[in-house]
Amino acid sequence: MTMTSSIETVEEFSARAEEWLRENVPTRWRENRGALSNEEAGEIRREWDRQLSRGGFGGLRVAEQFGGQGLGLAYEVAFAVLAAKAQVPDGFGRIGKVLVAPMLIANGSEAQRAKFIPGILSGSDVWCQGFSEPDAGSDLAGVTSTAVKVAGGYLLNGRKTWTSFAQHADRCFVLARTDVDAPRYKNLSMFLVDMHQEGVTVSDIRNISGAIHFAETQFTDVFISEDDRVGEEGAGWALAMQLLSDERGGAETAARYVEIRADVDLLLESSGDRPELYREHQALDIRTELLRIQLAKVVEREEDGSEAFHRSVSILKVLWSELWRDVTRAGLTAMVAKDREHWRFQYLESLAGTIYSGTNEIQRNIISERVLGLPR
Amino acid sequence: MSDTQTTGPSELGVLAAESIGEFLQKAVGRSSIVSYVEGQSPLNWNALDDAGWTDVGVRENGEGATLRDLVEIARVWGESCIPLPFISTVMAKRHSAAARASDCAVTVAVATPTLGAGSAYIPFGQIPGIVVATGLGVGRDSVIEVPLGQQDALGLTLRGLEAEATSDFSAEAALEFAVVWASEAVGAARRLLDDSIAYASERKQFGKQIGSFQAVKHHLANALIAAELAESAVIWASLEPAEAFRGSLFAVDKSIEVAEIAIQVHGGLGFTWEVGLHFYLRHMIAIRELISGLRRAS
Repeated sequence: MTMTSSIETVEEFSARAEEWLRENVPTRWRENRGALSNEEAGEIRREWDRQLSRGGFGGLRVAEQFGGQGLGLAYEVAFAVLAAKAQVPDGFGRIGKVLVAPMLIANGSEAQRAKFIPGILSGSDVWCQGFSEPDAGSDLAGVTSTAVKVAGGYLLNGRKTWTSFAQHADRCFVLARTDVDAPRYKNLSMFLVDMHQEGVTVSDIRNISGAIHFAETQFTDVFISEDDRVGEEGAGWALAMQLLSDERGGAETAARYVEIRADVDLLLESSGDRPELYREHQALDIRTELLRIQLAKVVEREEDGSEAFHRSVSILKVLWSELWRDVTRAGLTAMVAKDREHWRFQYLESLAGTIYSGTNEIQRNIISERVLGLPR
Repeated sequence: MSDTQTTGPSELGVLAAESIGEFLQKAVGRSSIVSYVEGQSPLNWNALDDAGWTDVGVRENGEGATLRDLVEIARVWGESCIPLPFISTVMAKRHSAAARASDCAVTVAVATPTLGAGSAYIPFGQIPGIVVATGLGVGRDSVIEVPLGQQDALGLTLRGLEAEATSDFSAEAALEFAVVWASEAVGAARRLLDDSIAYASERKQFGKQIGSFQAVKHHLANALIAAELAESAVIWASLEPAEAFRGSLFAVDKSIEVAEIAIQVHGGLGFTWEVGLHFYLRHMIAIRELISGLRRAS
């Protein structure tokens, strides 16, 4: 008897995804993105998560028993590359799929999984992440938002910042202090907070490029039901660390690779007849291709979870963020009329990349201490 | 060649830079650039003009401020990025009789490689009543009204206008404008370094000032190295005419490096519009375009 596998290979999956993307990326987004009103862009982005779900691409790495596709990193990376090439809308569902669903699967209650995961995967519920605060950024354990015990639950007070998608979010998962006396790392708890209630105020944060990607969120006497605490009281820090140490940089890096690749192609056009720029641009071209190879190594090594895997994956964020900055700076300083506004905007955008999602200083601390085992 | 050479400005340059520094100090002090970048200048143009500062670059009978002196003045001026056409007026009056004869603020139109053919960048072209000098040491020496054009959205402190116009520059005028603008960028870099040191000494994470972490210390040490190199480059550019453009562009690039580090050290606040570090960086980027245009023209 011949063994026939019913498991779709990455190549087969990619072919199917490519075709689906070709048919489903909204033309208005792909061709008129710059001209769309905020409202229209928002609608397209929100709808995109629903389209993904209907197409069977809504929760690629979420286990099938919870409604996802249960696929590995290789599939997720392949999809991210194809999606970026197809210029898909920037959906709002990322935080829910990448952070909340895995957290609930690992540590949530039966009731929480049933209540929240379907909405995340279908694209009907947008989530944001309430971790950082004005005085607790790199030092996340220093959050001072408080959740004080009241009948049936807690009252949340505090200010959260750098909350992506907060303007569009239905829910927020929040790290807050539940114990003023407990020692550091034992005094925090994790909550699932409904954003559609009184006491929740969201204000835009404008980046140096002029674009708005982040928000500040104020919680004033916001009620959280006891049922919406994840894990035990005091387990918040451990849950947060588990989430942030999850090796989830692959799909992000894949999307970044596609964008940077397109930018380097623009650069090479401008240096064709300018020998003084040639070497610099060639070096950037090489770094870009090596980002792709790095990602391929990560995908291959994921299976065994070996030291080699941890080493390869740990440097992804530093690699893409610094490359992105260097490429856009090269575009800016090449001083050509073509694409002038593109380079000005992208360069200013890129300067946030070495800061958000854990500054590159924190990234290097993690690499040196957790991956290389150097003394703290 | 001797191993050491004089790198400082003349007495005139030292005194002028000091006085202008005090003038700025009175008007803005250390108040944030955010308070004036998109609104009213904190400094009164007439006060600056009436005090005679716009004539500081004028030479008579071969005497007057040297390029090195103007570098000193522009650096001090650049620390605040005040949205007034001081540097362009000083330099236009130095190189154009028509500009000297005019009572108005003066600017120039520079065809930069980043604009289409026929188009030029006019710093402060948005300011009402400013005139454009058409011939700087060469060509027809006159001043004209600013033509209609498009406002530049990047260099907000430069109030730039992109329009169809050109000023002609002699080789000397082109390199002097380049060096002096580069020096403004060097001043802006110095300011960003100082602000970053202050922030790192104040902001606490993990119960300590972030400036006590080696990663941050090294960033700031590197920023100082870049700021010093930027200053050296602009001094080199002012003393050795053959190096003027190379030195000026290097100085601006090192200043941009300082700005990147300043943003990084400020963390999340660094990349927000409202904290305003980017206004200096935008100023530097616009200046880099101007210098590239002058180099091409010369």
